[in-house]
Amino acid sequence: MSAADPLAPPRVRGWKRLPVVRQLRQSVGLQRGMLVTGLVITGLFLLTALLAPFLAPYGYAQLQGADGRNFGAQVPPSAAHPLGTTVGGFDVLSRVIWGAQTALGAIVVAVLLSIVVGVLLGLVSGYFGGWLDRILVVVADAIYAFPTLLLAIVAAIVISGGQSSLGGGILAAAISITVVFIPQYLRVVRSEVVRVKSEAFVESARVIGSSSVRIMVRHVLRNSIRTLPLIITLNASEAILTLAGLGFLGFGIQPTKAAEWGYDLNKSVSDVAAGIWWTSVFPGVAIVLVVLGVTLVGESLNDLSDPRLRSRRRARRAAPAVATEPAP
Amino acid sequence: MSTTIEVPPVSPPAVPRGRRRNRPSGLLLYLLVRALLIIPTVFILVTLVFFLMRSTGDPITAALGGRLPADQLQERIREAGYDRPLLVQYVDYLGQIARGDFGRSLSDGRSIGEIVVTFGGATLELAVYALLVAFVVGVPLGMLAAKLRDRWPDATLRVLAILAYATPVFFAGLLLKLVFSVWLNVLPVAGRASTRVQIQFDSMPNPTGIYLIDAIRLGDGNAIGDVLWHAILPGLALGLLTAGIFLRLVRTNMIDTLGRDYIDAARSRGVGEFRLTRTHAWRPALIPIITVIGLQIALLLGGAVLTETTFEWRGLGFQIAQYLQARDFVAVQGMVVVLAIIVAVTNFVVDVIAALIDPRVRY
Amino acid sequence: MASAFGSARSRRLGVAVGIAAASALVLAGCAGGGTSGSGGGSSLIVGTTDKVTFLDPAGSYDNGSFAVMNQVFPFLMNSKVGSGTVEPDIASSAKFTSDTEYTVTLKPGLTFANGNKLTSSDVKFTFERQLKINDPNGPASLLGNLDSVDAPDARTVVFRLKKGGDQTFPQVLSSPAGPIVDEQVFSADKITQDAAIVKGKAFAGPFSIGSYKKNNLVTLSAFSGYDGLLGKPKTGDITLKYFTSSSNLKLEVQGGGIDVAYRSLTPTDIADLKTKKSVKVVDGPGGEIRYIVFNFDTQPYGAKTEGADPAKALAVRQAVADLVDRAAIAKQVYKNTYTPLYSYVPQGVRGATEVLKSEYGDGSGGPSLDKAKAVLQAAGVSTPVTLKLQYNPDHYGEGSADEYALVKSQLEDGGLFAVDLASTEWVQYSKDRVKDVYPAYQLGWFPDYSDADNYLTPFFAEGNFLGNRYSDPVVTQLIQQQQVEGDPAKRQQDIEDIQAAVAKQLSTVPLLQGAQVAVVGKDVSGMTLDPSFKLRLTSLSK
Repeated sequence: MSAADPLAPPRVRGWKRLPVVRQLRQSVGLQRGMLVTGLVITGLFLLTALLAPFLAPYGYAQLQGADGRNFGAQVPPSAAHPLGTTVGGFDVLSRVIWGAQTALGAIVVAVLLSIVVGVLLGLVSGYFGGWLDRILVVVADAIYAFPTLLLAIVAAIVISGGQSSLGGGILAAAISITVVFIPQYLRVVRSEVVRVKSEAFVESARVIGSSSVRIMVRHVLRNSIRTLPLIITLNASEAILTLAGLGFLGFGIQPTKAAEWGYDLNKSVSDVAAGIWWTSVFPGVAIVLVVLGVTLVGESLNDLSDPRLRSRRRARRAAPAVATEPAP
Repeated sequence: MSTTIEVPPVSPPAVPRGRRRNRPSGLLLYLLVRALLIIPTVFILVTLVFFLMRSTGDPITAALGGRLPADQLQERIREAGYDRPLLVQYVDYLGQIARGDFGRSLSDGRSIGEIVVTFGGATLELAVYALLVAFVVGVPLGMLAAKLRDRWPDATLRVLAILAYATPVFFAGLLLKLVFSVWLNVLPVAGRASTRVQIQFDSMPNPTGIYLIDAIRLGDGNAIGDVLWHAILPGLALGLLTAGIFLRLVRTNMIDTLGRDYIDAARSRGVGEFRLTRTHAWRPALIPIITVIGLQIALLLGGAVLTETTFEWRGLGFQIAQYLQARDFVAVQGMVVVLAIIVAVTNFVVDVIAALIDPRVRY
Repeated sequence: MASAFGSARSRRLGVAVGIAAASALVLAGCAGGGTSGSGGGSSLIVGTTDKVTFLDPAGSYDNGSFAVMNQVFPFLMNSKVGSGTVEPDIASSAKFTSDTEYTVTLKPGLTFANGNKLTSSDVKFTFERQLKINDPNGPASLLGNLDSVDAPDARTVVFRLKKGGDQTFPQVLSSPAGPIVDEQVFSADKITQDAAIVKGKAFAGPFSIGSYKKNNLVTLSAFSGYDGLLGKPKTGDITLKYFTSSSNLKLEVQGGGIDVAYRSLTPTDIADLKTKKSVKVVDGPGGEIRYIVFNFDTQPYGAKTEGADPAKALAVRQAVADLVDRAAIAKQVYKNTYTPLYSYVPQGVRGATEVLKSEYGDGSGGPSLDKAKAVLQAAGVSTPVTLKLQYNPDHYGEGSADEYALVKSQLEDGGLFAVDLASTEWVQYSKDRVKDVYPAYQLGWFPDYSDADNYLTPFFAEGNFLGNRYSDPVVTQLIQQQQVEGDPAKRQQDIEDIQAAVAKQLSTVPLLQGAQVAVVGKDVSGMTLDPSFKLRLTSLSK
């Protein structure tokens, strides 16, 4: 997971203190079940994305088999095409698998961009305070209400100049998501900075003239790591949903450049009306599953970081289900 | 689409938090400051929208480039004032908005105000249906999940809630269409009424644009049934998505309040668990829900582009999608600005309600 | 006539073909009278995914707007339902009275639905305002050969042409430039808004508009004052319902919510509807064509590229023509709602040939890898040739992406080409293509009227709308010659010669020709799809 932030100084028991791992160890019962399920789905998604060239029976833009004959359009699921073929004659299974790669690309770009900009702004805003801080906070709140998808569409038009290329499509989704998520990172980091800034050791560092900024960054980041994984998972799901939304509205990536689930759903609209279900169900389920997996992880982490929501190891009021710990 | 599960911030942290006493003047001051905050919020959004849309070039070129000879294009650009420095145009645009003039669509010549009035009813109607479904489904289930926390019904409900969030509305639309319109052939998936009923509405004097109200005014049982029949799938699709968010919120807040001292006190007084949930824990849990409804309206409007396109529900989102397709950026910009104002005002109202319900809400 | 075409032509081609295109659906025709009486309480609902841009004929030039105009405005020339041959509509006679004068006499006693008289003054006003407004979204370019209009008396109109003997002029009067409007309602120098037209009841076609909710619901009712070629409508009240998604249009017609689905259902929709008992699928000749354009400057070995070599450039184009498998595209992508196109003038239009069939590929319409290899080798072209191919996903129908993915696959199959396929949305696309940005790209065309010239002049004459740097003196000369050739046999020969000449040079590689398709409820009759490519509502009944 991207949550394993290298900046987190490994302490006492090393990897066991890393986010996610720590929460996994801390979790019990159904809560652990949800976290594990989420981690498994997310892991499968990552594997699929990374191993797509080996897993997919055909290329994402492949129209004919080794025998030089076209697959045919809208072929129902069969041995040669376990999930059938699309209206354009692509293999559905292959495009679903390759689509994971595109989705992962959007996630990585969106999360990286948001973190870098959001954390920086958060540090600056919290550290300097004053008017800059106020303006940033108000701007952040205003942006919070801005419709992501509209932003994404405009970004798609600007970035790609109407060309539906792989990079353009991913970047458009990523940038719009970044804009909406920066405020969330900013908020978390800023409040940490404000808190840490007033603490004695920073004050004293300042007094003795050593770099207070360096100390602060270390402390702030270490503390924020508790909340950041949750935002990252949200950020990731939004990235996938926005990419799919763009594809569905026709601002997506064209099929010979990459496989993209939203695009395939867009192309399947007529199929649905004709009762051809396999072209829409599988890419759609892929989107749902990935978002589900990532969100389960995020939700569980959120529960575990909040003492009130954490399942109690020994339930105060007898809750039978909690008592039995399922094998992870 | 852009529904975020995370509990959103209740009110802008920039509100001065000095006064914490429950004095009327405190409340008034809070309301005043909160109302004033609408202005910068709208201002920022307008600025963002303006420069974002303009980064694609001037609207005339976007809409007509390639169809007009270069000299005619230049002429039109000059007439519309798009050849002036961007900052001048921006200031000009701000002034225009301050006067309540949001511009006129390039592609069909309608004023933005007229468009919003014409299509706003449909969007409002769908939002109300969706909120209704979300309330009826999300709140009781959320309370149930809180009561049964960490047991399997809780886990099931939570996974369902996440599923509702994880399913893009257009995929839900496709599935519903597949099952109900194609396989079972029982429910309409597109449009707000059947053609004949729609013609009835078109010919009535002063239609409100909210079909249910219009149908009731007509006093025509068929029309009412038809309108509701058409609302089922879009209302459910959007409502269940929102219900997932409500469920999660109610659960979290119930768990929180159930753990509070005064609940323990009530429990020790012998108040039954059921009554405890219904009377004591319910009210505090309500506030975040109200706040979220506010944000939900924003998201409904933002997500309306997808929802309304999917169900061919001719509201504001549907219309924005049409203008986007026509590259009519004047119309898109105008409508987004109006939506931004609606969202900002809604959030204000929501904050006010939250403050009135629970004086402890920070102000 | 030619030079003014450029911009508006390309637009029309965009909007018209675009929305229509891949989905390929037009009217359906079943002959026979209906059960309902004329104009009585009976009503019909016609659904479409086309859009109206403006009702004003000066402000729009697309299928969606033209379909409505055909119902509510009269024409001087029109064609009978079922035919593409033009004859006088609200005129009693129309003919060349001299080489450059075309004189039309109106029928007596014509009125508009608002009671205003329809006289030669309205006709003069109609055409003069078209020329004056000359809107980029309008069809004024079709009137490129019109010099002036005179109205010597209340019923006589004289059109003075710049170029004599124009064989296409009667057709132009039936085209989108031809609807006659009311001078007391329409503005002389501005596009008139829909609301003003509807309020002013400026209609004199077979129908007038009752209630008008743009691109949502439009109700039409028979106008008794219309005395023209199309006759009295068999159904008095017709509602036009606008959809944005073809799948919703499909489900509605299938479920009986609407009576007619006219443009544009996808091939998948049509294939499925053919299996349904509740509806009938009707088809008719289609004038729509799809083709690949080569930019002679920027294509591989083009005039402005490094190593420019006309012979090699030609070989590249020929190899493409050898390799494309039109039948496979028609079958796989369009489920045969399109048919292979082997020339520039499509089948069904007088003068059509199949010259590319024997010239390229295996000689009988199929592809030939060997021939492509040979032609590239003979010209000394090193393979694989890198070809940047551009298509548009949003104006030529949903099939475009699949069509070009298949073209890419066909070209690359034998290793002769490496195709870099990219897509661009329409607005940008129409700007880029005329700026020589795309070496090879997709276009489509929907005819303005049913005449071979409409497939030649706009494409291959000087200053054509393709702007692909192709020009050939022989072809140019032949095109001018056929335009004014009064003898039909000689004209047809010229038209065939033009096709043969262009086929050797391959300014474009034609791919497919569309059919018109409409779907009607099983109890609906009179849906007619004919070579006029117009929406016919007067013959509909249930």
